Amino acid sequence: MRQRQGLIALAFLAPALVCLAVLRIVPAISAVVESFYTESLLRGGRVFAGLGNYTDLLSNKDFRQSVGVTLLFTVLVNPIQVVVSFLLAVLFTQRAAGARLWRTLVILPIATPPAVSAVIWSVIYRPDGLANGVLERLGLPAQPFLTSPSQVLPSLIVLLSWIGVGYWMLFLIAGIQEIPAEVREAALLDGAGPWRRMVSVVLPLVRRPLAFVLVADTVSNLLVFAPVQILTKGGPNGNSNLLMYDVYSRAYAIGDIHVAQAEVVILVALTLAIVAGQFRLLRGDQ
Amino acid sequence: MKRVSLSVLGGVVGLLFFLPLLWVVTNSLRPGSETFANLSPLSWQTFVELRPTVTNYASLLDSAIGRATLNSILVSAATVVLGLAICASAAFGLAAFEFRGRGLLFGVVVLSFLVPFDAIAIPLSTMFRDWHLTNTFAGLVLPGIGNGMAIFLLRQFFLGIPAELVEAGRLDGLGWFGVFRWIYLPLSKPALIGAGLMLFLFQWQAYVWPLLIGTDAKHILGPVALSNLQGQNFTDYGLVFAGAVVLTVIPLVVIAGFQRYFVQSVSSTGLK
Repeated sequence: MRQRQGLIALAFLAPALVCLAVLRIVPAISAVVESFYTESLLRGGRVFAGLGNYTDLLSNKDFRQSVGVTLLFTVLVNPIQVVVSFLLAVLFTQRAAGARLWRTLVILPIATPPAVSAVIWSVIYRPDGLANGVLERLGLPAQPFLTSPSQVLPSLIVLLSWIGVGYWMLFLIAGIQEIPAEVREAALLDGAGPWRRMVSVVLPLVRRPLAFVLVADTVSNLLVFAPVQILTKGGPNGNSNLLMYDVYSRAYAIGDIHVAQAEVVILVALTLAIVAGQFRLLRGDQ
Repeated sequence: MKRVSLSVLGGVVGLLFFLPLLWVVTNSLRPGSETFANLSPLSWQTFVELRPTVTNYASLLDSAIGRATLNSILVSAATVVLGLAICASAAFGLAAFEFRGRGLLFGVVVLSFLVPFDAIAIPLSTMFRDWHLTNTFAGLVLPGIGNGMAIFLLRQFFLGIPAELVEAGRLDGLGWFGVFRWIYLPLSKPALIGAGLMLFLFQWQAYVWPLLIGTDAKHILGPVALSNLQGQNFTDYGLVFAGAVVLTVIPLVVIAGFQRYFVQSVSSTGLK
């Protein structure tokens, strides 16, 4: 009976399992396998290269810069986005006139596909665009934004936060709304001020959604591609050359697919390591 | 007093987020030659157009972006229909039966969404090239239909369906497909809509994959077409902004229509 059940279940599961295996798991394995091979002009076709592609990558100046830029970007963008989403979630769960409307305005950019947002911000950041128009109105000097080595990452962070903060805020709002009313009232009766209530009452009680947001946000920020490809092409001087874009240009512009596969493996490993690390860190809290 | 200041603060934040979109909408209703005319100095006219024109939207219809938007709609719709069929059936297999290896198969599903899709897009695209799936609709749709997250979400919901209902159905002579079709699916509308939204947004927002696999004029998708236009030297920004508005409004209408389910599926992926 159990065996028969298993066969029927397998029939229902088969299409999805085939899709997941062929479209997710096989390419991941193939990247690992291909990263150990290289194209040989002499012998024609591919030959085993051992760790050759990896040592090539590690000694490559552009790759090392790309890792540095990606780590700097990760360390900046994630705390900023998580803190801002949390503060906005607290703000928009207070009872105040228009809170629903204002919240909706913050969420709206979720609907815009990331590539479309990048196109929009490419016009905003033009020397004669909206951003400099606003600065001029405030009496500030015009800024180069995307063409400045020091401003390019902050400019990308602003655009990515415009896209992402509303989305992450939704999870935290859902978490805050699950806090029982009695807990809030008790804190109020104890005479806790607004700051104290946020840090000592709300913050510990939304730790689970907060942990999820931190992990998911970190993963999505490690894979940022469209804004780099559309706005900066990694420049100026490689200062916005995030790993995902470096993989892409290595595979297609430079045309070295095997080294690019090695870089995919490093990127996925980095992603999984950061996710595992954050999970452990957050679990250690409990 | 406190209420008022909170409201003002919320309003300022909301408007800051809204201004770029408002600017895009306003400029989509203006000739492209005037895009940069109202920026120096900035005034209320930057964000409001008193004599709006729809010429940009009209010329969108027979531009590359018009065609690309139709492609996006077609590809996303196909993804949702096929994806829901495949993911719901898999979730049913995992929720309704007890068998050896069930935990293992569930592990495969979870594993498949731990590896981010964009990261494996490049190795997958070399596979698809070998299989002659470049510049085909099948090539664009396929990666969207097996979605581990959607299976996970549906399985959680299906686990809540009482076993007595299934037994009653079986006694009434329903086959297992009948149980799936006539008991599980009708009871799971919220979860199906949530999973459908997930599949839709995955496909509608995709950029890396359509850039790798479908860039000829017949198969190009909206976001790729729009970013191609942006890169050209003599860009008509009126047209770019009209395209941006259309590509934003379509998912917005879908999300707004199913708002309740969207928030539900968002919060259940975060909390469970």
